[in-house]
Amino acid sequence: MPDEEVLEEGVLNPVKPEIQDPLLRALVADEPATAPVAADIPKEKPQAIEPEADEVDCVVIGLGAGGAPLLARLAMAGLKVVALEAGPWHNPEKDFATDEKAQDFLFWNDERLAAGGDPLAMGKNNSGTGVGGSTLHYTAYTPRPLPDDLHIRRDFGLGEDWPVSYEELAPYYEEIEQFIGVSGPTPYPWGPARRKGYPLAPLPLNSAAQLMVRGAEKMGIRTSPAANAALSARYYQEGVGWREACTNRGFCQAGCSNGAKSSMDVTFIPLAVKHGADIRPNSFVTEIERDARGYVTGVVYTQNGEQKRQRCRHLFLCGGSVETPRLLLLNELALTSGQVGRNLMAHPGLQVWGTFADEVRPNKGIPGGLISQDTHRPAGADFAGGYLLQSIGVMPVTFAGQVARGRKLWGQPLRDYMRNYNHIAGINILGDCLPHADNFLELAEEKDARGLPKPRLHFTAQENEQRMNAHAEKIMRGIWEAAGATDIWAFQRYAHVIGTARMGKSGDDAVVDANGRAFDVPNLYISDNSTFPSALSVNPALTIMALSLRTADKFLESLK
Amino acid sequence: MSVPPYPSGTVRALLATPHVSEATRAALQARLAAPAAYAPQFLAPETYALLEAVAARIFPQPDRPDQPIPLAPAVDQRLAEGRADGWRYDALPPDREAYRMGLGGIQEIAQAQFQTDFTALNAEQQDAVLQALASGTPPGTTWTTLDAGRFFEEMLAELTETYYAHPLAQEEIGYVGMADLPAWTKIGLNEKESREPGLSS
Repeated sequence: MPDEEVLEEGVLNPVKPEIQDPLLRALVADEPATAPVAADIPKEKPQAIEPEADEVDCVVIGLGAGGAPLLARLAMAGLKVVALEAGPWHNPEKDFATDEKAQDFLFWNDERLAAGGDPLAMGKNNSGTGVGGSTLHYTAYTPRPLPDDLHIRRDFGLGEDWPVSYEELAPYYEEIEQFIGVSGPTPYPWGPARRKGYPLAPLPLNSAAQLMVRGAEKMGIRTSPAANAALSARYYQEGVGWREACTNRGFCQAGCSNGAKSSMDVTFIPLAVKHGADIRPNSFVTEIERDARGYVTGVVYTQNGEQKRQRCRHLFLCGGSVETPRLLLLNELALTSGQVGRNLMAHPGLQVWGTFADEVRPNKGIPGGLISQDTHRPAGADFAGGYLLQSIGVMPVTFAGQVARGRKLWGQPLRDYMRNYNHIAGINILGDCLPHADNFLELAEEKDARGLPKPRLHFTAQENEQRMNAHAEKIMRGIWEAAGATDIWAFQRYAHVIGTARMGKSGDDAVVDANGRAFDVPNLYISDNSTFPSALSVNPALTIMALSLRTADKFLESLK
Repeated sequence: MSVPPYPSGTVRALLATPHVSEATRAALQARLAAPAAYAPQFLAPETYALLEAVAARIFPQPDRPDQPIPLAPAVDQRLAEGRADGWRYDALPPDREAYRMGLGGIQEIAQAQFQTDFTALNAEQQDAVLQALASGTPPGTTWTTLDAGRFFEEMLAELTETYYAHPLAQEEIGYVGMADLPAWTKIGLNEKESREPGLSS
């Protein structure tokens, strides 16, 4: 934590702040609430905050899928915006190697503690840093959720419904698909008819995708080339110019070196810069400052060893499902609902691998070439929700690590098995997850290299996830057997941390409202996967971006 | 499935071509050029020798008697620099402590099973010690406080990722993904670019 002396006088250093919710304050103090709660919470009046010399309209913390889209939107509206990103700003063409180990810098490598019955692997599995955040290494798999994904409680009586409907999100999905350049099938085989198709044809199917087509056809499972946010042809990008087509490197998860993958650093961030956004890389935020009313007044951050302060009228917290709740907990901010850190969810991402007589060479092509959403609501299933099926290619070091952990092979048997690498292909699922009281994030006693408490993530797959995994394993083994695979094995994994600062209709059980605005703090917004009320049965990035643009629009409306 | 070897020399030859980017070449050349001799910076010499002996059984390299792919230096270097990979099992102590305890625990298993040091055992006996560790319930007081299964998994994963990051190990499995310029165009089943090696017949 920074030295007290550095802080200006008159700023409340949020070490032990007052409880901000008047009702809770009264309850804690054991006094009757004297006035109706609604009247006591200041309405948003941005002009009421006195501007200061160095105050900007908005500070955005984190430049991944949650921060970058809204940063561009706010800058385009003419607001003065500053973005603070913990990691560096890379030059992928020059800096990114086609080598997994050399690309380790893309991950959030400060240690997090993985607890519970199914500890969540972080690092390369579940984190990101740098201008672009984890989109720098996402697989770019960008299917839309299906409308009933947002209503798991309505349909199953479990989990939570979203306070936002699919119909409200659909225009944003379309805008993002068109803007960043998603390659995919038109028409899309699952879900409601769309106003516009994908702007680019699907990427070519690699070997794993072809094998999955072969097996799924025999099983009567419908498949389709998947929607991927990587360019199947040259594409004009506002703020960037022409972006080149994908060269089938297959290295999406270790960084794209030619700008074909639609990560934030080649899409929304250049657009934001073009419209005047001030991007500050290597800026790690430690404190969020407030005034006596509980409004955010600015942030304290460390950039290249130097401590700095940036004042702002509004703060957008977009650090992802670990750093966002960590900042809230460290600063004791927006905690009155008791939900910060709770409802931690992770997608069941079970993989099934097989060995084929055919040559696969699984490192080439977009890793997730194929999709099936026939398992979205499987008939006769003994679990709530559902999952999608995806073919997967894989890079060698990642695969070897999974073989070690998953099959526990070592010695000569490990070397022997790995020599089949060019004949290996995989399928995996991405399934919904229900919140559970045992699954949460907390701050540990143990400190990290920055001297801050490490986050500890508790995750145990519950009955619903276990039943879904069992259902999916049977189907995937069936597909691989039908496709002619031998030596089939399953690797249990969970990907994407979700839900640690959830949105909802009321501050009693949610941290932010449907627009991303914190119930406790009128000028604080959260935009990232921490606000998801349920996990959805698709990859989160596209929905994070959609919510980001929607939050920006709702915020801009509130200024009018 | 037993696979015949891929031709040796493929990766070194490709590294000299424009199929490999400068950043990629720099990363792989550095690994190829790493000196065979390494003085441990973190682990005590005898503990480091033990780690080397363990690594030699987890990745036996009878095919490289003179110059095996080095594995222990990467672990020692990482521990010396205090680098993490973003997470650790909450059940385990911090990495430095886990390795110190775990390697000591391997000695305990060797003593319990064969009444001698791990490094003095023959290959078959060493494998028996590691098998006891991998089983998750080895003998020794260390393992009453250190989760044997998790420690073995973490050590195995680190050694494995170090091994397969080496260009010669990648060549061994027929991987030449590093030579991806200007593009891969043959990405379907049973298709390969002329620069991709086939199996030696």
